Amino acid sequence: MIATQPQGASPQISPQELSRQIKSFLSGSDPQLGHKLSPREHARCSLLLLRCLPSARHAVLEHLRSVFHDSVSSFLNERDSQDTHPASSSSSQRRAPPAPTIPGLDEVTQEVQKVLEEFIKLNPRAWAPLISAWSIELMGQLSSKHACRQGMPHSASLNELLQLWMSCGATRVLMDIYTHCLSTMIGSCPDACVDALLDTSVQHSPHFDWVVAHIGNSFPSTIISRVLSCGLKDFCAHSSPAEAPDKRVPKLGSVVGILGHLSSRHGSSIRQEILRMFHESLRPGSKQQRATLPYLLQLAALSPSLLGAVCQDLVDSLKPATLAQLQQHCSTLPREELENMLNLSVHLACQTSAGAPRLLRFLLDTAMPASVITTPGLAVHDSVREACDRIVRLLLLRLQKQVYGRPGGRGASDAQPRAVPFLDAMRSHLPELCAEMLRLERKRHLWLHQLLGLLCVYSSPSCAPEALCILLTMAQNSEELGLAVQLHAVLSSSMQGLAQAAVTRCVAQVHAGALTDKQAFQLLQNLALIVQSEEGGMGRETGIALSEYLSDIGQLLLHSDPGVCEAACLLLCCCALPSSLPPSQLNLLIRSSCHLLFHFMHLRSSAGVSSCSRLLLRLCRVSPIGRKSVLHELVEGSLHEGNAGLFGGYSSTTVGNKLEGAAASLLESNSHLGSTVDFSGSVWSVFHAGVIGSGLKPEEQSRQSGQQEIAENTQSLISLLCGCCAKKGEEGGLPESLDPEAVKTLAVTLTESACPDVTNSELAWPPEEHARTTVQRDLVIYKCFSRNPLLFQLLHLIAQGRPALCYCSVLLRGLLATLLAHWEASRESSVVGSPWHLQASSDLVSCMGEGQLLPPALTNMHEMFSLLAPYEVRLLLLSVWDFVKENGPFPQRFTFQKGAFSRDFTREGDPAKYMGIVYSVLHRNIHRLGLLSGRFQL
Amino acid sequence: MGTVSPCGHPGRLRPLLIPAHGFVFEVNQSADNEEGGNRLAMSDFRHALQRRDAVSAAKEVIYHLDMYFGSQMQSTSMPMVEKKPIELLEEFVFQVPKDRGSYPKRLGALQELQLLDILCSYFQEQSKEPARQIMFSALFSPQGNKTDDQRMALLGKLTSMAVAVCQVHVLECAASWLQRSPAVYCVRLAKAVVDDYCGLVPGSIQTLKQIFNVSPRFCCQFITAVAALYNMSTEELLPPHELLETIVSWIFEDPRLILITFLNTPISANLPIGFLDFSPLMGLVRWCVIAPLAYRRKHKAAGVGQVVESQSLYSKLHLSVLQGLMVLQTHLTEKSLYGRLGLLLFEQLVPLVEELGQLCQELNPLNAEQEMEVALDRLAQALQVSMATGALLCTRDDLRTLCARLPHNNLMQLVVSGPVQPPPPPTHPTLTPSFYPHIHTPPLGYPTIPAHAPLPAHPAIPAHPALPAHQALPGHPVQTFIPGMTFPYRPMR
Repeated sequence: MIATQPQGASPQISPQELSRQIKSFLSGSDPQLGHKLSPREHARCSLLLLRCLPSARHAVLEHLRSVFHDSVSSFLNERDSQDTHPASSSSSQRRAPPAPTIPGLDEVTQEVQKVLEEFIKLNPRAWAPLISAWSIELMGQLSSKHACRQGMPHSASLNELLQLWMSCGATRVLMDIYTHCLSTMIGSCPDACVDALLDTSVQHSPHFDWVVAHIGNSFPSTIISRVLSCGLKDFCAHSSPAEAPDKRVPKLGSVVGILGHLSSRHGSSIRQEILRMFHESLRPGSKQQRATLPYLLQLAALSPSLLGAVCQDLVDSLKPATLAQLQQHCSTLPREELENMLNLSVHLACQTSAGAPRLLRFLLDTAMPASVITTPGLAVHDSVREACDRIVRLLLLRLQKQVYGRPGGRGASDAQPRAVPFLDAMRSHLPELCAEMLRLERKRHLWLHQLLGLLCVYSSPSCAPEALCILLTMAQNSEELGLAVQLHAVLSSSMQGLAQAAVTRCVAQVHAGALTDKQAFQLLQNLALIVQSEEGGMGRETGIALSEYLSDIGQLLLHSDPGVCEAACLLLCCCALPSSLPPSQLNLLIRSSCHLLFHFMHLRSSAGVSSCSRLLLRLCRVSPIGRKSVLHELVEGSLHEGNAGLFGGYSSTTVGNKLEGAAASLLESNSHLGSTVDFSGSVWSVFHAGVIGSGLKPEEQSRQSGQQEIAENTQSLISLLCGCCAKKGEEGGLPESLDPEAVKTLAVTLTESACPDVTNSELAWPPEEHARTTVQRDLVIYKCFSRNPLLFQLLHLIAQGRPALCYCSVLLRGLLATLLAHWEASRESSVVGSPWHLQASSDLVSCMGEGQLLPPALTNMHEMFSLLAPYEVRLLLLSVWDFVKENGPFPQRFTFQKGAFSRDFTREGDPAKYMGIVYSVLHRNIHRLGLLSGRFQL
Repeated sequence: MGTVSPCGHPGRLRPLLIPAHGFVFEVNQSADNEEGGNRLAMSDFRHALQRRDAVSAAKEVIYHLDMYFGSQMQSTSMPMVEKKPIELLEEFVFQVPKDRGSYPKRLGALQELQLLDILCSYFQEQSKEPARQIMFSALFSPQGNKTDDQRMALLGKLTSMAVAVCQVHVLECAASWLQRSPAVYCVRLAKAVVDDYCGLVPGSIQTLKQIFNVSPRFCCQFITAVAALYNMSTEELLPPHELLETIVSWIFEDPRLILITFLNTPISANLPIGFLDFSPLMGLVRWCVIAPLAYRRKHKAAGVGQVVESQSLYSKLHLSVLQGLMVLQTHLTEKSLYGRLGLLLFEQLVPLVEELGQLCQELNPLNAEQEMEVALDRLAQALQVSMATGALLCTRDDLRTLCARLPHNNLMQLVVSGPVQPPPPPTHPTLTPSFYPHIHTPPLGYPTIPAHAPLPAHPAIPAHPALPAHQALPGHPVQTFIPGMTFPYRPMR
């Protein structure tokens, strides 16, 4: 009936035929035969009209619209029925039968496509805008109409949606038609086509996104640049001040939406395009160019992703020359507009997230006053600098408003506080921020300080301690440290327990190994400085906080870096030590600091020694247990093999050597287990010349320090021990000020460490002959004394704290026994041949005298030792033995008088009977000793 | 599809609402004192229409107005279109809301097509010419209100549709409309038709071409409007090639086409300002003269293929225009108006010559001597022939001062300087040999505007006037005019 027209030229049909066609098109039925037209015939009829009756084109397009609607509906119905049929037959039975699908619609749509594309090809200028608008609007309607249909993918799942619609013939045809329009017009002026896209996008926004995405992906560069320029045009058209600002939002909104879609894949082209627009706008030009800047700002304000994409590159491109251009450009704008732009840019700066550090750096660099160092070519113009200065100040002001103006308080707010992306981004750059601030450049550090404060308040509670910690770690001098104190002062009003948190963080940092030794050193030093110098505020709080972490800091005493140790030591010195310190912690601290003390002595660091001594003194005043522990540790440490050299002693390295050999092969020594004799612990070990099988003992190597150091070390140790033993409230090293109890501890400790063998160690002395039963023990004691000259010093000290020397009775007895044996065996004519024994003998006797174990007359005998023969010395010493045997060295013999213990020998029988030998020796050598005779008068 | 049968005849339409006491406007017009009751009837009628759908309401209104105008025409010979019918049409055809608060409903494109179909059918089936005219005028005369946009849009579509389906009546009405509407509106109509048929659909220009055989009067007015539209003042305002070709083919086929309106119009008054000319002559002369330079200006580099093609069309057009002028002379002589009524006005020539001078200056550096020569030649020829045929009434002195600023041209020199004149044709008994209207001022006894009543309308054009021009060009057969196409009477508003 209706002949299919050949493609190409307009079919020539008679006017009568044409009017018949119009009637049949309008009525939808054949005018001659009267039957109803099938959709396909109807569509053909409409296409004929499109060719022959130009004025009917809108009507035809409207009719075709319904054709496409039908086609899409039938497609979707078919899809639904396919979905339900295989699933379960019962559900499909319950369901209403799907609407009958209309056959042949796909062919019709393809025919339409062919005809329309032909028109577009022949006269793109006239048809492309019309057809593109039609197709795009139709797609919009279709997407919106079927969006809520059951089984449709959600509009957020773009890919599914795209897949579904592109599998539908009708929409694919529409899409093809549109892309055809666009590609035809792309060379000349695609604005009309893109405009239609924008408008429809505004109208059918979420459901229509798939179209935008598809087209955008097909023509990224065109769509991006055109969407931007269309938006700009629209912006220009609506930017008259009289109009309400919200009216222009829709189109901009859709621009933003589209670009947002494309930004995931074509982010770089968007960025380039925007930058291009920006740079172009700087050239003097039309109104449109003038509006570009506000437009771009507005765009960025609406879309965070755009802002993020553009910000970094933009900042990079702002060279001094560009800035000068920008300044020139802005100077032509009216004041009000300029203010708006400024506010908007500050707002945007607040919203920047990824590029925030760069942006901040740029702003600060630009706002910094020019200095002599700046390269002349790179210097920015003064007005630019001022503007930037202003922006920085405004930015800080706005940040402050946002930070402090957040609804509710911390904890109380149920609404999510407003996020400030700028601060969020800066959060992770806290260390850089702090480092830059500490450079103390003019102005800059003040801004940074302010910003830091805001940042801390904004991302409380974690940020402020972190910042303080960083500052404390990095500050090199008091001026820099002052910044930390200021920051604390600013923040302490709004945050409680800030110092506490900061200290916690610092300690954690140190222990996590996050700091280098140098940093740790600096941190500890700074903390100490703050605690010492800041009486109120931060110093006090920090001190309190630190006292909770004593053990943690104590661990640092054993740090491998001596600087850190010393700093930790200093810090502990200025911390308040609570009396309720748990013993475990206390012991730990004491042990570590003792260790440190000797370590410093090894290092010859007198400062370290003194600070360590201070610390130990403090520690021993914490509690009696503390004192005991300190004394114990000190004595043990000083007698320790490794440390003996510090005090003029020797250390045996034999053990070390032997171990070295044995450690070579455990397997080997195990295999020889049965075949070799184990001598260890048996009588063989007594032979001091060496062990059979391993040759002679090597020469004891002295690791002695120089005399001066020995003296120094000994002095420090003794004075420290004196300090420790001092009575409460008395500092000086006078004998009267020594606490007997403390000295007793010292004595006991000394005894324990010099003579580990506790059998036969009662205070009372046996007869001299019995000494042979304890030969081995006595030899150990002797060796100990011979290796550690310090022991005599210690004995002297103990002797001063009467009656403590009594507790060293074992040592004294052992030593005396060995000395007796030596002198007995000696066949030399003068004692000068064995100087050590001579010295030991006189020291021993004088010591016992000082400790009032011997009466003064008897004590004085040591003055003549050096002038006697060995056997005479032995005789004298025997009399000493006799006296002590008779008058046992018991503490109970001492009485408390005038603030100190003393012994009254007059009440203990006649001392004269012990003086016989003394006198006979004196008489025998009267020619030499006459001078001394007065010393032995009772 | 539609609720109204599109092929329904207005006469056969059974209106749902016919006031029992006759038609509202009749009463309204006849007696003012009964206004209250009539208002009521009128509003009833409107309410009834408002309840119907847009297309059928429009149809109803047209039907009633047709009856109303018919009855009016019986009572008065020259009915005037009053305000009330126009308001009704505005409300129900152009969908302009009369009640406050109601939103303007827009017809869908399909409904609009139905409406166009109804209008077409109406005009086709209304046999009385005056009734058609008055209805057309009521529908489409510009009222100077905001409905004019819709009015013009609908008119454009209706005309375009009429062209497609060869609706003689609509085209004739449109021709009359073009004659009595301000030029700005005419230009819009012309633009609508040109847009539809030139280039939109491939090959549709053929449809337009055939109109020549359907309504020459419309063609003539259309050419006038098109010439006014594309006045070549800018590069965009050059006529599309297809359109140019169509027009040239029309005029070349019968140069008398350009005179149809002039000949069918009573020489009642001087041309009112702001309306189209009586003939496209001036516009076409302008085209021919300006075209070479205008195209040169558009394509700075000469030698583009289509330009050459267009230029040959323009020279063809030029010839046809000159021939038309010759025909005019015959008519003027027959009507004893030779030398008394100019068709080309001197005042219209002035801007043309000025523009030509400017263009010459503008194109001087472009080596456009050839084009300038052609343009000046054409101007000289047109001046010469129009003076000789009595279409232009002015002295050579006037011409001389007018053309003084133009570049030198031999032919122009000859034309301006005169006086070698061919002897006046002896067939003109009213003119003595010593009287040369071209040289001397017209005698005071022949004012251009006759003081007395409008001259009687021209009788039908003689079937085949013997023209010397045609004898000179035997290759072109002369198209006879269809006698039925004459328009005996045109109601003037």
